[in-house]
Amino acid sequence: MIFFLLSPQVALSAQTGDLELQARSIAAELRCVVCQNLSVADSPSEVAQQMRGIIREQLQAGKTREEIKAYFVSKYGEWVLLSPSPKGFSLLVWVLPFVAVIAGILFVVFVVRRWAQKNNRAQPPKVDPALIERVQRDVATAGASDFELEEGDVPSPLLQERTRLYANLKELEFDYQARKLSEADYRDLRSSLETQAAVVLRELELSARSPSGAQAVAAKKRPAPEKEAAKVNRASRPGWQLAAGGVFLLLFGITLGVLLTRSLRPRASEQDSVTGDFLTGTGPGGVGDRSRTMETGMGAASAKDIPALLAQGRAAYERQEWAKAIEAFKKTLSVDSNHPEAHTYMGLILAQAGHADGALLAFDRALAANPEFPLALWGKGMLLYRGKEDFTGAQQTLQKLVNLMPPGTEKTEVEKTLTELDSLKGKGKQPVKKVEASPTASQPQQINGVVSIDPKLKEKINNRAVLFIIVRSGNTSAGPPLAVKKIDQPSFPLNYSISPQDVMTPGVSLSGEVFISARLDQDGNAVTREPGNLEGEYRKNPVKVGAQKVDIVLNRVM
Amino acid sequence: MEDRRLRIARSSIVNFQSSRETMHWRRVIITLAIILPLIGLLAYGFSRDPRYINTPLIGRQAPPFTLTLFDGKKISLDDLRGKAVFLNFWASWCPPCRAEARDLEVAWQQLKDTDAVFLGIDIQDTEKDALAFIREFNVTYPNGRDAAGKIAVDYGVWGIPESFFIDPQGRITYKHVGGIGSQIVTAKLEEAGRGVVTAKEGKGTYQSIR
Repeated sequence: MIFFLLSPQVALSAQTGDLELQARSIAAELRCVVCQNLSVADSPSEVAQQMRGIIREQLQAGKTREEIKAYFVSKYGEWVLLSPSPKGFSLLVWVLPFVAVIAGILFVVFVVRRWAQKNNRAQPPKVDPALIERVQRDVATAGASDFELEEGDVPSPLLQERTRLYANLKELEFDYQARKLSEADYRDLRSSLETQAAVVLRELELSARSPSGAQAVAAKKRPAPEKEAAKVNRASRPGWQLAAGGVFLLLFGITLGVLLTRSLRPRASEQDSVTGDFLTGTGPGGVGDRSRTMETGMGAASAKDIPALLAQGRAAYERQEWAKAIEAFKKTLSVDSNHPEAHTYMGLILAQAGHADGALLAFDRALAANPEFPLALWGKGMLLYRGKEDFTGAQQTLQKLVNLMPPGTEKTEVEKTLTELDSLKGKGKQPVKKVEASPTASQPQQINGVVSIDPKLKEKINNRAVLFIIVRSGNTSAGPPLAVKKIDQPSFPLNYSISPQDVMTPGVSLSGEVFISARLDQDGNAVTREPGNLEGEYRKNPVKVGAQKVDIVLNRVM
Repeated sequence: MEDRRLRIARSSIVNFQSSRETMHWRRVIITLAIILPLIGLLAYGFSRDPRYINTPLIGRQAPPFTLTLFDGKKISLDDLRGKAVFLNFWASWCPPCRAEARDLEVAWQQLKDTDAVFLGIDIQDTEKDALAFIREFNVTYPNGRDAAGKIAVDYGVWGIPESFFIDPQGRITYKHVGGIGSQIVTAKLEEAGRGVVTAKEGKGTYQSIR
């Protein structure tokens, strides 16, 4: 019963499954037309999807695999086949690898044999130096007539050989004296002849001891040692050389394999390049897409990169692009795990995100690395004050900061906070909001004005630009910003207003004297500080919070 | 006899000296003979755009199709026999297509009273975006959407805009990948009308399809 019910469905799904399988196997042999090294089966692109649909349709229409492949070849050419048919120029692709492998093997064999020969030559048979001296003496004292063979006398082959070698040595000497030979050749030839003669002399001595079998022994023995020496040479020398070569090749192969697998990775999208950051120094975004490299953070940073990373992080922090800022500071910390500034900024970001405990930990780490790092002291103090309402701790921290600070507006700001803390400590814990509310009542915590662009620079803006209005406490253009306003796609002149909402660290009040500047980032990407960004600041900086008509003109190109 | 042996040995040394030089040269020549073709092959490989797909379609009969136009009418390539046809594949998301759109309309305005036919085929696009594109560039020649992408694959489209010129006998006479100017359109349509085939493809800025 169950079988009866199921069987038609099973048959149907088997049929479609088979079709799907067939379509896939055909698609796997076709090259995706918008990606370089993916098959139509593997490509996620729209056109590959459509092509898979066409394959399925044609299969259903009863076309064969070859017919379907031929259809695509007729549209896109041989290019579309992942393994080109071995015809014409494409034949090279099939043949060349084998040719290269064979040529490589032949080359290796050739080189190894040459090594072996060289070593054989370099090692003359060892003979007693005394014998060589004897040869030299004999040759020097003997006259030319001594080497004449007497008629009818049949000397032993060894004696004949000795006579011949002596004669040759004499002749060689003569030729050298007559300057027919170069110094080097003379030496080579002489030492070779002398060695041969010495060997013969040794043989003669041996045969003299057992005169009966002298000739036989000589005939038998003479070639033997040479052969043996050659054997030893052939066997031992190329043996270890081959082994060393093999080990080298193996290591080379392993290194290559490891490097290649590390440098290649699957594509995230069609526009991606296959090679990753390891070889090309670019991230998955391909050449030129620096921001994505930053996001994935695959590239290992080195100590040299710290200043750049910090600058990137600060810039991203200013632009409120937290993820990028965190990325940069994390990278810095991966190189130098005790970098106080990176820890401090991480703390500021965490405080911003409402993670008071994590922020406190980060500030403490920064202070552990440098107990007098002002920014960390300030961050910790403010966090304890506003976030944790630990007024004693805040006071201690900020007092330490005040002691370190040079006199100036910033110092008076901190001192003001300290007196505020003093009064709060007397009253015990109290909701902070009230304190915040009071200045809002007396003077609005706002800065208003208009941002405009120098008419000369008008044409330098593009529609992707992002405007940042940056407020720093005190009268400097450096240091962490107090508040930042980010405006996408600004149109100028632009009315702006900075309120406590734009303050970066929660709980910090927008009050006192501030320094206001603006930057127009051309590509809206905080990480890259490309030339062409426009900058400007309020002309009468510093300004009191609550001021109106704080007009900024963007009048500089970075 | 011994004397002769020595002569041979010595002459071989002299030969060796001179042969050392010829050996040196031979080695250089062999090395170059191996390396130069390899460098040549490499240079050839690098000088080619690996994404570029040369079409096998020029000179062949244009694949037939029936296109539903945006105004609902249907047009079939077979209906256009006897006329020179300019066929343009485009998409609203493709910047080079936007760049050439005005030029194409200019060419159409010049040629619409002649026997030539312009036909735009929108691929990998939504109807809404395509209509917005047509409105933006005030395109007046007939356009339709190839929703399934079958016409595009039939024409081996891979980088848009892609333009095909079809002669009155229905044969593809020329293909241009990438942005095309109105002058080329006019000139090549005139050639197509006479049945002149240009085997070499034209190239402009193109965008790979998706």
